[in-house]
Amino acid sequence: MTTQLEANKPAGARTRGSKDRSKNRKGAAPTRVTSAANRSDWKLGWLLITPAILGFLVFALYPTLRGIYLSFTDFRVLTPAKWIGLGNYEMLLNDKVFWDSLLTTLYFVFLAVLLGVAISMLTAVILHRVTNSTVIRGLIILPFLISSVVAGVVWSWMLDSQLGIVNLWIESLSGETIRFLSDRAWVIPSLAVITVWKSMGYTTILIFAGLQTIPPQVYEAARTDGANEFQMFRRITLPLLRPITAMVTILTIISAFQVFDIVQVTTKGGPANASNVLQMYIYDKAFGQLDFGYGATMSLALFAMLIVISFTQMRLMRASESDTN
Amino acid sequence: MKIKRILTLAIGMAVVAPLAACSAGGSDAADGGGGTVQWWTWDDKQAVSYKKCIAPFEAANPDIKVEISQYAWDDYWTKITTGFVAGTAPDAFQNNVSYYPEYVDQGQLLALDDKIAETKFDLAAIGTGVGAWTYKDDSLYGIPMDWATVGHFYNETYLADAGLTTDDIDTMTWNPKDGGTFDKVVARLTVDANGVRGDEAGFDKSKVAVYGAGSIGTNGLNGQDSWAGFLSTTGWTLGNDANWPTSFEYEAPEFVAAMNYFKSLSDRGFTPREGDFTQGAVEQLGSGKVAMVVGGSWYAPSFNALPGIEVGIAPSVLGDNGKRSGLTNSNANSIWKNGPRIDNAWEWVSFMGSEECQSIAGADGTFFPSIEASMAITEAAMLEQGIDLAPYTAQFADGSLFTTPMFSHGQELGSTIQPMFQGFFNGERGDDVFAEMSEASRQILAD
Repeated sequence: MTTQLEANKPAGARTRGSKDRSKNRKGAAPTRVTSAANRSDWKLGWLLITPAILGFLVFALYPTLRGIYLSFTDFRVLTPAKWIGLGNYEMLLNDKVFWDSLLTTLYFVFLAVLLGVAISMLTAVILHRVTNSTVIRGLIILPFLISSVVAGVVWSWMLDSQLGIVNLWIESLSGETIRFLSDRAWVIPSLAVITVWKSMGYTTILIFAGLQTIPPQVYEAARTDGANEFQMFRRITLPLLRPITAMVTILTIISAFQVFDIVQVTTKGGPANASNVLQMYIYDKAFGQLDFGYGATMSLALFAMLIVISFTQMRLMRASESDTN
Repeated sequence: MKIKRILTLAIGMAVVAPLAACSAGGSDAADGGGGTVQWWTWDDKQAVSYKKCIAPFEAANPDIKVEISQYAWDDYWTKITTGFVAGTAPDAFQNNVSYYPEYVDQGQLLALDDKIAETKFDLAAIGTGVGAWTYKDDSLYGIPMDWATVGHFYNETYLADAGLTTDDIDTMTWNPKDGGTFDKVVARLTVDANGVRGDEAGFDKSKVAVYGAGSIGTNGLNGQDSWAGFLSTTGWTLGNDANWPTSFEYEAPEFVAAMNYFKSLSDRGFTPREGDFTQGAVEQLGSGKVAMVVGGSWYAPSFNALPGIEVGIAPSVLGDNGKRSGLTNSNANSIWKNGPRIDNAWEWVSFMGSEECQSIAGADGTFFPSIEASMAITEAAMLEQGIDLAPYTAQFADGSLFTTPMFSHGQELGSTIQPMFQGFFNGERGDDVFAEMSEASRQILAD
């Protein structure tokens, strides 16, 4: 198997830990060119990336720095910010609602990522093995194209324990109804399922695209060696998809941490704060109570958490490498 | 080289165009869109009604144009707030008592007293709400434009099927101990899957087909849309002071007893459990699964439009003392203090507060005008549509309505208190939650 895999590798492919790597690196070292034509290209290059740099400075860097500053202030948005040092951070440490919201968010992220990646992976693999129909791919991505607000309204009607069609079916089967969006035990799993339904089309297509980069010869070789579908999935598909899986997982985690619209439309954080995810709490503090200083502090805490999680994940999943490297 | 020039030009335009657009937006915001007064409301129906006032206003004021915009409640306040910061807020807007104290504190609303004096605006014609819109500094920050109250909407067919009469429901009494005749009416209206009523032997509370009443728990801040009109009949008041209280009286024995009574209704199967319905009162009554709901007067046209259901209106309950005490409040028109067209905005606001405009807009029945003569037009128009507002107007006339107290930090109080209420009605918290709620209110109101 190993021999066949090596044999099927494209020419020039690197093997992790092999001597080829240093040789390739040396061989690929750029030669310094100082011709007039290249200097002109250098200018054009800068010009080309200027819009992106400007966008980054105006819409990312400045708001981030401003947010950091505001997190040290009492800022009620309509009056000038007052510097209060670490006041907001002290409040954060003692804010039970914040920590409860964090736990709620982590629970939501865990469910949304686990279900999201697993279902997307399964759907993508089935699609890849069964059909190349663009119509079916189009249908799969359809929920992703629907507005989150519309999805939230429709799902809240469907899941209503007295009037919803889902509970009509459940009641006809079991005689009981489930308060999906108003029972503490059910609300976060329900929101996670709605979110996965909404986003799985996009992640499925990403994974599907990754699957198409795996050379078919690899599967042919495996089949020749007598591997069954599950073995091929476990020993070929999963390892070769690692960079895509890592990217999808990180994107799903970040997007799950930022969940807001579906919660705002369906539960508004209830019942009794059971679905009061961090973004809801931040929004309520900032835009509802006009406490933008504390809202900035919480946003910064979320930002720091996302950096740590993304970095750790990248390291753990060796996101830039697949097992063929 | 030619391609490179074209590329350079395209990139240059890509960079400059958004900046130019920003700059254009800024200048438009600065001049505020010319001489047009911008007025905002969150109510889609009132937006349509008040548009009818624009033509006579513009005819009388040829130099002033008016544009009305409507945004849904959830977005409305965010847009107003960000508009104050960005300089794009409306010149005048429909305002709510929960929000205006914060805006006054932050210097965004114009005190209207000078304008009223200068133009001799007839404030005395406004029948209600002036007190609520007078802030701690004794200045008026809004011209009340409507009033509303809360009563009962019921399914007339279900009422007849239960052997009850209109009089039974119009004269319901209530107390926190045994629920008075209200309790009996609700029990009678409740029917299980086997057709057994809530007041009959063998009633199965786990298989309820029709609830006697919609959930009376957490609707509206401080029970505005549910229990406020019940509790006030006991003499209980929300605040320790009539206005600008420093504490909410959640620990009072009559309050605790009342909350336990309302919770017992769902425990006995007469009302849905907290969260059973995720939809509002109109949808609950419209589904046929609920016989009666507590609802705001502003829903009257929506209830009347329910297909296949004849809906009756009843006033708020009578207390042990034989008196009603229904909640009322008024929305008002406020003017943005930093807006570019304050004088023109006042012309429009004062016209909206005149009998002429209130009568034109009020004829649609989309709100209750704050001017008595205009209210009579609304009442007549609604009666033509088959909606009898007499239960509300009678309460207004006999003075059995009370105004919700004015307090600051309404949003913070709502965000803090409401989850605790939900915890109580969910069964997660016991009576101890009320002391915690009072303490939370003291901390927030002390700021």
